[in-house]
Amino acid sequence: MQIKTVDLTKTYRLGPSEITAVNKVNFEVNEARFIAIVGPSGSGKSTLLNLVGLNDYPTSGKIFTDDADASLLSSSKRRKIRLFRMGFVFQTFNLLPTLTALENVELPMSLASKPKKEQREKAVRLLETVGLGKRLFHRPKELSMGEMQRVAIARALANNPEIIIADEPTGELDSKTAKEIITLLFDINRKEKTVVIVATHDEKIVDVADTIYTIQDGRLRLEG
Amino acid sequence: MNVLFSGQIMVVSKDAIVIQAIPIGGSMLPQNLTEKLIQNITGMDKTVPILFVTPIGIGGIIQPVPVNFSMGIPVENWRVILGPTPLKGNIGHFPTNESSNEVVVGPSISDQYNWTVGTKIMISGRELEIAGILDTKLGLLNRCVLMPLKLAQKLYNYPDSINIITVKPIQGYPQKNLTDAIENQLSSLKVKALTEDERYDMIEPVLAQVETWNIGIQTVIFLMSLILVMTVTVMSVSERRRDFATLDAMGAPLSYVFRVVIFETSLIGVLGGILGILFGSLAALVLASLYTNIPLAMFFPTFYEIIPPFYMLEIFLAVVFVCCLGGIIPAINATRMRIAEVLRAEY
Repeated sequence: MQIKTVDLTKTYRLGPSEITAVNKVNFEVNEARFIAIVGPSGSGKSTLLNLVGLNDYPTSGKIFTDDADASLLSSSKRRKIRLFRMGFVFQTFNLLPTLTALENVELPMSLASKPKKEQREKAVRLLETVGLGKRLFHRPKELSMGEMQRVAIARALANNPEIIIADEPTGELDSKTAKEIITLLFDINRKEKTVVIVATHDEKIVDVADTIYTIQDGRLRLEG
Repeated sequence: MNVLFSGQIMVVSKDAIVIQAIPIGGSMLPQNLTEKLIQNITGMDKTVPILFVTPIGIGGIIQPVPVNFSMGIPVENWRVILGPTPLKGNIGHFPTNESSNEVVVGPSISDQYNWTVGTKIMISGRELEIAGILDTKLGLLNRCVLMPLKLAQKLYNYPDSINIITVKPIQGYPQKNLTDAIENQLSSLKVKALTEDERYDMIEPVLAQVETWNIGIQTVIFLMSLILVMTVTVMSVSERRRDFATLDAMGAPLSYVFRVVIFETSLIGVLGGILGILFGSLAALVLASLYTNIPLAMFFPTFYEIIPPFYMLEIFLAVVFVCCLGGIIPAINATRMRIAEVLRAEY
């Protein structure tokens, strides 16, 4: 999946003032790389990921997915891209609290109308892959933070996405667990050939990333 | 239409209100004079004088709503009231002597007080004997004590007085002509003569008013429930903004999010409907029991007659409908959440 942004800008109105969270960002992803977007809080990382993940609309500029202007796509088509081609990992995990780990992972497949048997088999396999084979029927509140993030990663992988967008995936975790999550994401990138875009200020992620961008006041810069 | 006195004219005091066959209020009529005046009217076939008294005050219990009453009818005319109604188990007999102390009672009242044939009861300080128990389900007869007219007049201290006289017209004679003639002939007694249709017409405005009140109350309850369900669901959706935003971010179709909310509200409706019907029915029975002094247990055998299953179904469907309706606006709100803003707000 190719994603390209051209002069991508997002501004917010906060009372009388206007804040430019993302400022004329030009960014391109077309191969299975592990990309880190690094910047302090409030620098525009999450806003950029929301735009790239088609969760938000830019104020100006364009996002292209496989050469199609995403802002011209219908809401339904954008949803389908998110469902079938993208996976999301959030800082606060965002698991549905009433569902078990297994059901949380099955959910994207259920939304994609996959057969029930396939959903169950794949969800079990994914949870075993992330090391939660024995925690299938636990609800989020019965899991540790690291385990919740693993479930979230398994959920993100459910529909075989071409790109995983992770917003501060280690932000809530201790350093040991954070390292495990980074390894997991790195392995997914390498084994599944999935693009991984991570917004972070975790040095450990920066260490393993193929491409590093820094973002400051909404402006994105390629570091290496 | 009226069950009692069907096809007959009811003559009562002008100031009495007649609901079905029950006169409420009004002055007493002198029995002999009334009967004598009616005898001479053309078109009249048969008359039955009745003394209708409520409440009967068994055991000195004061009832907020009179459900027990006694009727004094000349013994030779009992069949006019009862039709072919038999006695329970064919045990006992109908009184034949106008001055006897024998009475016949309805099945509900006899069950409540454990009366059987031969039981001696005290009414207004006089000992009476139960000669039979009626085998009927008619509401009016279920809770009555039937006695000879002379006995009722003595018992309640209304000598030579009645408050109803039923008049059977000659076959084919227009009821309207007869009522006009009765009212003319008895003008000095200030009576009104009511045909079956007129009695029905008298209660029709009352029923219409009850119906209007019912519709009004139902509308208020409907709106209150709607607002309540809507408020609860709006709060529930608002508390789970992040969950809905997550679903949205995952690419869940709008119809899925909408269905989730509507499903939840309809589930509230199903559970609320079942519990509401259970508790509501029980409350209705408890209130009926409190207001009538009839033991609660006596209502259970006729539970489905008091609250018919069709009404229960109707109420259940209405509750589910209201809940689904109340879920629509919150469901639309859930689908309109701006994911980026919601997710950002959570950090």
